[in-house]
Amino acid sequence: MTVLCVRFELPPPYEAALPRLIGLLEEFTPVVQALPPDGALADLRGAERYFGRTAVELASVIRVRALALHGVDCVIGAGPGPMTARMALRDARPGPARAVPEDGVRNFLADRPVAALPGVGTATARTLCAYGLDTLGRVAAAPLSTLQRLVGARAGRELHEKANGVDRGRVVPDAVSRSLATERPFTRDELDPGRHRRALLSAAEELGSRMRAAGKVCRSLTLTVRYADRTATTRTRTLPEPTAHSAALTEAAYGLYEALGLQRARVRAIALRAEGLDPAERASHQLTFDPVDEKVRRIEEVADRARAKFGPRAVMPGSLAA
Amino acid sequence: MPGFTHLHTVSGFSLRYGASHPERLAERAAERGMDALALTDRDTVAGSVRFAKACAKAGVRPLFGAELAVAAPPTAPGARGDEAVRRDRRRTPVRGGAFIDESAPRATFLARDGARGWADLCRLISAAHTAAGLPLLTWDENHAGGLTVLLGPDSDVGRALAAGRPDRAARLLAPWREVYGDALRLETVWHGRKGTGPGSLRLAARTLGFAAEQRIRPVLSNAVRYADPGLGPVADVLDAARRLVPVDPAKGLDSGEAWLKDAGAMLGAAERIVEAAGFRREAALRLLEQTQATAAECLVDPEDDLGMGSVHFPEPHLVGAGRRTAQRALASRAAAGMVLRGYAGRREYWERMHHELDIIAHHGFASYFLTVSQVVDDVREMGIRVAARGSGAGSLVNHLLGIAHADPVEHGLLMERFLSKERVVLPDIDIDVESARRLEVYRAIIGRFGTERVATVAMPETYRVRHAIRDVGAALSMDPAEIDRVAKSFPHIRARDARAALDELPELRELAGEKEKYGRLWELVEALDALPRGVAMHPCGVLLSDASLLTRTPVVPTSGEGLPMAQFDKDDVEDLGLLKLDVLGVRMQSAMAHAVAEVERASGERIDLDAVPEGDPATYGLIRSTETLGCFQIESPGQRDLVGRLQPSTFHDLVVDISLFRPGPVAADMVRPFIEARHGRAPVRYPHPDLQESLEGTYGVVVFHEQVIDIVATLTGCGRGEADRVRRGLSDPESQGRIKVWFAQRAEANGYDAETIQRTWEIVAAFGSYGFCKAHAVAFAVPTYQSAWLKAHHPAAFYAGLLTHDPGMYPKRLLLADARRRGVPILPLDVNKSGVAHRIELVSESKGSAVWGLRLALSDVHNISEAEAARIAEGQPYASLLDFWERARPSRPLAGRLAQVGALDAFGANRRDLQLHLTELHRGARGGRGDQLPLSGGRRTAPAGLPDLTPEERLSAELGVLSMDASRHLMDDHGTFLAELGVVSARRLREARHGDTVLVAGAKAATQTPPVRSGKRVIFSTLDDGTGLVDLAFFDDSHDACAHTVFHSWLLLVRGVVQRRGPRSLSVVGSAAWNLADLLRVRQEEGLEGVAARLAEPGGAGAESAGDGDGPARRRLAGSDGRPAPAGSAARDPMEDRTIRMPTGYEMHPWADLRPAGDGPAVGRKLWHRSPGSAG
Repeated sequence: MTVLCVRFELPPPYEAALPRLIGLLEEFTPVVQALPPDGALADLRGAERYFGRTAVELASVIRVRALALHGVDCVIGAGPGPMTARMALRDARPGPARAVPEDGVRNFLADRPVAALPGVGTATARTLCAYGLDTLGRVAAAPLSTLQRLVGARAGRELHEKANGVDRGRVVPDAVSRSLATERPFTRDELDPGRHRRALLSAAEELGSRMRAAGKVCRSLTLTVRYADRTATTRTRTLPEPTAHSAALTEAAYGLYEALGLQRARVRAIALRAEGLDPAERASHQLTFDPVDEKVRRIEEVADRARAKFGPRAVMPGSLAA
Repeated sequence: MPGFTHLHTVSGFSLRYGASHPERLAERAAERGMDALALTDRDTVAGSVRFAKACAKAGVRPLFGAELAVAAPPTAPGARGDEAVRRDRRRTPVRGGAFIDESAPRATFLARDGARGWADLCRLISAAHTAAGLPLLTWDENHAGGLTVLLGPDSDVGRALAAGRPDRAARLLAPWREVYGDALRLETVWHGRKGTGPGSLRLAARTLGFAAEQRIRPVLSNAVRYADPGLGPVADVLDAARRLVPVDPAKGLDSGEAWLKDAGAMLGAAERIVEAAGFRREAALRLLEQTQATAAECLVDPEDDLGMGSVHFPEPHLVGAGRRTAQRALASRAAAGMVLRGYAGRREYWERMHHELDIIAHHGFASYFLTVSQVVDDVREMGIRVAARGSGAGSLVNHLLGIAHADPVEHGLLMERFLSKERVVLPDIDIDVESARRLEVYRAIIGRFGTERVATVAMPETYRVRHAIRDVGAALSMDPAEIDRVAKSFPHIRARDARAALDELPELRELAGEKEKYGRLWELVEALDALPRGVAMHPCGVLLSDASLLTRTPVVPTSGEGLPMAQFDKDDVEDLGLLKLDVLGVRMQSAMAHAVAEVERASGERIDLDAVPEGDPATYGLIRSTETLGCFQIESPGQRDLVGRLQPSTFHDLVVDISLFRPGPVAADMVRPFIEARHGRAPVRYPHPDLQESLEGTYGVVVFHEQVIDIVATLTGCGRGEADRVRRGLSDPESQGRIKVWFAQRAEANGYDAETIQRTWEIVAAFGSYGFCKAHAVAFAVPTYQSAWLKAHHPAAFYAGLLTHDPGMYPKRLLLADARRRGVPILPLDVNKSGVAHRIELVSESKGSAVWGLRLALSDVHNISEAEAARIAEGQPYASLLDFWERARPSRPLAGRLAQVGALDAFGANRRDLQLHLTELHRGARGGRGDQLPLSGGRRTAPAGLPDLTPEERLSAELGVLSMDASRHLMDDHGTFLAELGVVSARRLREARHGDTVLVAGAKAATQTPPVRSGKRVIFSTLDDGTGLVDLAFFDDSHDACAHTVFHSWLLLVRGVVQRRGPRSLSVVGSAAWNLADLLRVRQEEGLEGVAARLAEPGGAGAESAGDGDGPARRRLAGSDGRPAPAGSAARDPMEDRTIRMPTGYEMHPWADLRPAGDGPAVGRKLWHRSPGSAG
């Protein structure tokens, strides 16, 4: 009963407020892991002894402080490990923390649907449900070998352990926000590739400037195209080198889009997500003999400064100006 | 000022392109003072016959033509093929599909030299349709002596001009000029657009200048797409529906100018164009003159050149006449038939035969009879069940040739009802064949007569409300889920009635509340009304002609089967004088053939259905018990009720029963007097003793057409041929008046007294044109009796046939429930025992009485392919799961489905374990791993410890996979809750008293809103609760509360009052209805308190009952005429009252007789909520 999972009810812009609240948690324990966009895990093993209070009591303190200092309410789940804490959070309401006692984990898990388990995605859940293993209780009762036959050796073992309440996860401190996303919706079914590309350009520009502002680079880019029938296509591409350069991001986004070969698809929104964020200073950049590349990067730098001074619409690509 | 003729006009028959019907175009042309009008639909001449008829009515000369996509000549610039390469290299879209490629240039072809022009046009269209994909005319086929060609903005020449390349245009023009020479025209069009694209003034001027320079005559056209101004948005929707994309205002909308402008407006356009081209203003008149001159050349006469009004039969030598004339051959065949059937010694038969042959000779139809007889012989030789239906059964010659089974003399059927000297229409013989082998029959006919003489008939599918909503909604970028919901809320009504239905129908009230939200949707939906949206093969018509068929109709391959299909529909081909033979696929014939084959396969007993004993007491006992589900013609709720009251005991009773259950007799209230007289509760009366002979069989009530013919012939002394003509005249109130005078005069002259004449006339007039042709009824009654006989004596085989060929109005699961109720054991699906089709199996045998069970078929498994089913059946038996997997090679999902419903239970009891093994086999097969399976020895697979399917999950899987509750009835599980509610089962309902208020529940089997005598809309529904069927009726006063629930729920709980009309006639008049599935969920989640709360909710009745005096809708008729109204003015038909008054004084509710809202009867998975834990 030592790990808390906290979800802050953040006001928009959501992510911007998170670091301050993480700081609040770090006043209690150094072992805090951010769960962007609005959550965090905190391991209170040492804190319980230091403050002389139980984790549930500390949770109340945290909530009060968050409200008092930042005006942000939060919902807290508590459990013996990160997994149980996360699952407890799903049950929690604003108010006292939802706690799962150490010896009650199996009971707590028994009637949950399999999809509630962290690490069980839609595909795994579908597989398990197809075999009648729709609750964690049933998963726990199934033989390990059968589970391994269903979902593979390693995943099967993990599933078996988790379903039986064995939580081997740890809270990893200082795991920062690892992705950035933005979306461009259309007001009607949009088929025009020209307008799709404009949306991609503006989304890539936005991601680029946000990353540069935060001093980050991303390793891969994910494109999600949403259609009128509420389905979506998702494609990910790893960039040749980690970057926050808008031109490189745009090029990658265009590449992803062209690969879909869309013609008559009724597109309702285009979303881009930059993933694998790392500090910019750790990234390497391949120099070229082409002076244009360097010039473009310098222009971008200047444009960023102009934007910082005069607002985000001060400098933008010509094709987006209209 | 010279007149103007539109040379380039498309109608709605240009699928999803033209926005007006040909009739409206002809009307508008006449109104706007035009003397002639061309119809040049895209890729088709399907509208030509209607157009010609409408033109004749409006006094406008029709011109015929078509607009075709033409491939570039091989020598033309730009035809090097690099474009094609680029197109092929385009990536396949991951979603949404590729664009519809409409890039091929189009030219307009007008038939010029009479029949030759028409034949050329037909040939070009047929040739264009041989291309794969969209119709495209290859350059090699692009030549014709009798056609005038217009090259407009959409042609390759026009496009080159639009691109500002007159040099290229000149090069592209050269091959055209080479082929068509002086018959080539350049078409200028001005739609007031900007730029240089199609419809722009600059392109029109360039075209004109180019024509002068090239010395080719220019013509002016308006490229008409709709008859009236203001239909531009409709054209946009049609464009969007054709290209399968939403309307995009940024991409350019229709100009709104492409309507049928009058001569003045066209002169104005001509003036603008010639001025822009740099000519003097007077040149405009020259341009119009050129247009008129071109129109004047195009002379095609609908009668002489299209062949309207004349008949073409296959050549006599093809139908077995040899060198003799067809008439001689027919006479000798008929005489041979007399001897063969043993009538040789009977004088009346000889006289009748000669009389009929005279009539046939009078019309010269001998070839026709020989043709039909040839087809029937061929079909019979293939071992396919075949029967004649329709009035043709009244002809003795047909009987002698072996076309019709029933002896017309014995059954009192009249030749005159079919063909007489006075009747000058094509006779019509329909033949019924097994539906499953219908295409085989078509191929045999084509094989016999050749593709140059045979073609199937087209059937345009027109927009009705649901499709219109779907297409307009998609064009307007509406949410697909929303479109689906809105479309499904509607009953299957005409699109033009959409807004009226919203105002009036109680089940649409919720939708009507949010009507405004959808903006222009409703207006556009109504504008699409009755426009063709696709063409399918008519399900039964086959054209037979002489070798000139291809010069009279274009023939295109059908999409699925690749059979040749004429572009005209069934009415058009009659007008064109093409002989149509209706070959109907009757599923009951297939079902009975399957049942007979099963009995022979399983027991060795041969049944000849055509020779089953007449008057079998067990069969009539079954019919009288009204347990006639699945029997031909007598299975509907109304028929079961009628059969219960009528209590038939002879074949003749069946004939009468079938004839009585028609809208006409029901409307004219012939049913009640008949039943009263039959059961001796009322005396039998005849208007005059002379009529006793013809009315005796029906207790003095007129039921058949033949009887009316007899009455008229007896009283007036005119021949029967004349009497049939009189009978046809009765339906028209105007001619009825004339007939009344004539009838009275003639009867008086024959010495009948005034009272007799008056009374007889009343009967004849009330009969109107309704009633039923006895020949039809006799033809129907034969399979009715045969199917009932099978049901009584070979129930398992009967159900096997029914389930295999799925005839009738009820879902399969209801037939299965009926089988279970009648004690036929239902054997589950088993890969070692089930066949492709449903089979029978001996379950137990004791002292001569064998119990046969019904083994379910592989073909009913969801998404199984024919090849897979056949492979599984061929490989039987299988020793183990591995054996099954390797030899039957089912797809992974199919194998999973088989495991779910227990078809693999022989290899291991736990169905989920089986699923796991299958997955691993699948993975192993893919990964190339060894086929090692953890087997626990022998046939059965080792357990894996997964939880097995619960009984509920098994039932759910059966419904999902087989669409049937095979192991037990789905209502069985809800017994406790139904007992709590005090629901009366169908079996116990039989003891209920008239007037009792009861609760009934069950799965909805069928819902209809047929026309009824009172003129009210009544919703009839049938529930199935496992113990039997409950027939429900909901009257007007309960619709506000119940209609929506009844149409849109699968499981129903209904409160109602028992109505008894006879010992076996029972129905429940519903007053409240709930969705039982909802209540079951509430019971499970919230207990009885929750159910009580739900039942306590007000049903919404009475609060806002429709009291608005005369909404626009009330002034409209449903399905009364075929012509659509223009957009936005759909509500102009005068209609004073809520009901429709039929000519006979019979009133009909405007929304009656429509396929109701919702999804039709419940099948399969919809009956069962699927829990997240259920398999698959």
